[in-house]
Amino acid sequence: MLPTEPIGSIPRPAALIEGVQGFRAGRISQPELTALYDAAVQDTIRRLEATGSPVITDGEQAKHSFATYSIHGLENLSPDGVPISFADGHIRNLPRLTGGPFRYKTPADVYLEIAQRYAQVPLKQAVVSASALSLLYPQGGLRGYSREEYLDALIDEQEGEIRRCLKKGAHVVQMDFTEGRLSIKLDPTRRLLRSFIDLNNLVLERFSAEERKRIGVHTCPGADRHSTHSADVDYAELLPSLFELQATSFYVQLASEPHRQRVLKLIREHAKATQRIFVGVIDPLDPRVETAEEIRDRVLEAAEYIPPDRLGTTDDCGFAPFSDDTSRTRGTAFDKIRARVAGTALASTVLGVD
Amino acid sequence: MSQQREAYGETLGRLRRRLRTLHQCTNALLQAESEQALLRSICEILVAGGEVRLAWVGYCEDDAEKTVRPVAQAGDGVEYLERLKTSWGEIELGQGPVGVAVRTGHACWVDDIRTNPRFSPWRAAALARGYASCLAVPLIAYEASGGAVDLRGTLNLYAAECSAFDEHAIEHYTGLAASVAYAVTALRGHLAEDLTSGVTALRARAERKRAEEALQQAREELAHVTRVTTLGELAASIAHEINQPLAAIGADANACLHWLAADRPDLDSVRGALTAIVKDGLRAGEVITRIRALLTRSSVARGRCDLTGVIRDVLPLVGPEIRRHGISLEMSLAPNLPQVTGDRIQLQQVLLNLLMNAVEAMREVPPVRRRMVVRATTDHRDDGPWAIVAVEDAGVGFSQAEAPRLFEAFYTTKPGGLGMGLSISRSIIDNHRGRLWATTNSDHGATFQFALPGMP
Ligand SMILES: Nc1ncnc2c1ncn2[C@@H]1O[C@H](COP(=O)(O)OP(=O)(O)O)[C@@H](O)[C@H]1O
Ligand SMILES: [Mg+2]
Ligand SMILES: [Zn+2]
Repeated sequence: MLPTEPIGSIPRPAALIEGVQGFRAGRISQPELTALYDAAVQDTIRRLEATGSPVITDGEQAKHSFATYSIHGLENLSPDGVPISFADGHIRNLPRLTGGPFRYKTPADVYLEIAQRYAQVPLKQAVVSASALSLLYPQGGLRGYSREEYLDALIDEQEGEIRRCLKKGAHVVQMDFTEGRLSIKLDPTRRLLRSFIDLNNLVLERFSAEERKRIGVHTCPGADRHSTHSADVDYAELLPSLFELQATSFYVQLASEPHRQRVLKLIREHAKATQRIFVGVIDPLDPRVETAEEIRDRVLEAAEYIPPDRLGTTDDCGFAPFSDDTSRTRGTAFDKIRARVAGTALASTVLGVD
Repeated sequence: MSQQREAYGETLGRLRRRLRTLHQCTNALLQAESEQALLRSICEILVAGGEVRLAWVGYCEDDAEKTVRPVAQAGDGVEYLERLKTSWGEIELGQGPVGVAVRTGHACWVDDIRTNPRFSPWRAAALARGYASCLAVPLIAYEASGGAVDLRGTLNLYAAECSAFDEHAIEHYTGLAASVAYAVTALRGHLAEDLTSGVTALRARAERKRAEEALQQAREELAHVTRVTTLGELAASIAHEINQPLAAIGADANACLHWLAADRPDLDSVRGALTAIVKDGLRAGEVITRIRALLTRSSVARGRCDLTGVIRDVLPLVGPEIRRHGISLEMSLAPNLPQVTGDRIQLQQVLLNLLMNAVEAMREVPPVRRRMVVRATTDHRDDGPWAIVAVEDAGVGFSQAEAPRLFEAFYTTKPGGLGMGLSISRSIIDNHRGRLWATTNSDHGATFQFALPGMP
């Protein structure tokens, strides 16, 4: 069967969301909260395994958000950082660094280890990109801690995080790179995008070609289809640079794209022969659960542009990148994932991939 | 008449206040270091100007509710903002001035919060805070090129009086919002610049490191190759050197057989011959071990090194060559030479190079003059003791003009020379934080020596 993987997050159970609020208000203790996290991870993994997905995640149940999990709770951060809402609603307000030195507080391998206690099938681990966290450094600079020192520390932290995830046995480590499109908006000259790609490559290049086979990148540029006068940034501007990232797997939002074939053409033109493309076949924002046949057709459509030995399927994005997101339900998420697995299996049969 | 004057005075006062706030805003625009700081100070200035009670800036999000999120605020009503939910979507929460301004790209205002149906979702809370009218202006920057950059956000103002925002006010604040948007895009441009310069510096550093590593590796490989070459040159005399003990072993063994064949074997003689065999065997084995060490390993391993030991390692390899050329070798090794940190194989290689060069420099000189000295001494310097090893010959020497070129790669005066020996030797010694240099002797020949810092 074609490889199929989730992106990462699953909506948290109501009990957990309430628990987090209760903990903040001092109503429940840390051990009680930890127990809630544990139960949520355990339940999520059990239900993800039940979907038949050959690779799963912990549903990011314990992550504060996909972008801030590693730094949440650091003392040298203030909440009033770059007030940028990322195009796809991923990052709302970034914290701001108030002083050095910079270290992660909870790197992703901590979450991986917990998930490994419960998982029977291979686990994927998502990490935030260095480029997203590069925006923590304040624009005016910091006395006694230069931007370069910060970036240096950031790269070290991320290298360590990815390396530990690989060593502990993550099936694949996925770098969440969702700010590519934003960067073009912020800086139409594309220097910012260049820098983002460069920065992430500084991390990726620290790994051997062998190790990079287990490193992927997720991108979901989203589409501002509802805003009438905002400069629309097209996939065409992003994809050529995206595939310069020194990673092997690319998890690309596609299901919700209005012109899928156009995007597929771009992928065919720009992806390198060694890169595997996991096309998004599920739209997490759409409350309707896709049918297996729909998925199958989306995969077959993609297979016209991407050879089956370089093709995989995924969801367009996580189902709840932010911990307090309740706009989608757990049940729908699992149903959609089940549809992805079934549809991918159907397509694999048609394509003769077993 | 007086009423007119009063109204006139009021207008004048308002204009004056507006001019003052505008002036302050311009300063803020010019001085702002970050987007966040800029937005905050603009809000603060507007509230301090007295015309509005609350000022806030909101940015659009692409979440399911299409939230407009407050990112900066000042004035009376921060709790109001915390509870306020505004959207830019086509839903009820998106019909207020904020949502309309975002969607249309034009200012939208409410003259009377009490009655305007647009404002019903927020009416009660707003009236409780004493807001009577409000204005939302979009943050759109207009560039000289004619293009527009929409920040997808609004500047929002709340006043205590009804109809506080007349035509002039709206024009005024729309202009201000455009300036703010322009300053924000400039700051975001800086963000790109700052990040780019940071990343460029890191990239340069990474490349440099990679280049250095590649160079180091190339150097090590080259060192290995030249080691192999040197040994190749030495092969004949080394073979001879090994042959000697092997021949002796053969002869001694034969003698033993002979003795043992006698009726009453001369066991003392047998024992003596066997002892000689063992000694010769060890000697041959040692030479082979040294050669193998020089041939096989090409990576560096630092450790405590005794230079006298290094000299002893190398001598059996060049000894035969020295003797073949009828050179007399004198050793002068000071006791208690300080130990150094280093790679034994590399240091052997340096010494091997110097010794071979000395031998080669004396090829053409009259046999009586062929004499070399290997000297090891201690130099007590300010930073501690240094070990110095010198190879002194009575060969052809070098001229003042040649001196600066000796250590250059590929510099050679020999017909079959590679010109790599001294250059590699120098880089090895440099890597050991030492120094390698050459001087001409007062009578004949040259002295090549290296100094290495002793271990504390
Ligand atoms: N002991 C010495 N006396 C005079 N000249 C020397 C001596 N050692 C080296 N040189 C000069 O330095 C040159 C470079 O030496 P080296 O780097 O060892 O290369 P090579 O031995 O292959 O020529 C030699 O060709 C020679 O001209
Ligand atoms: Mg030489
Ligand atoms: Zn995503």
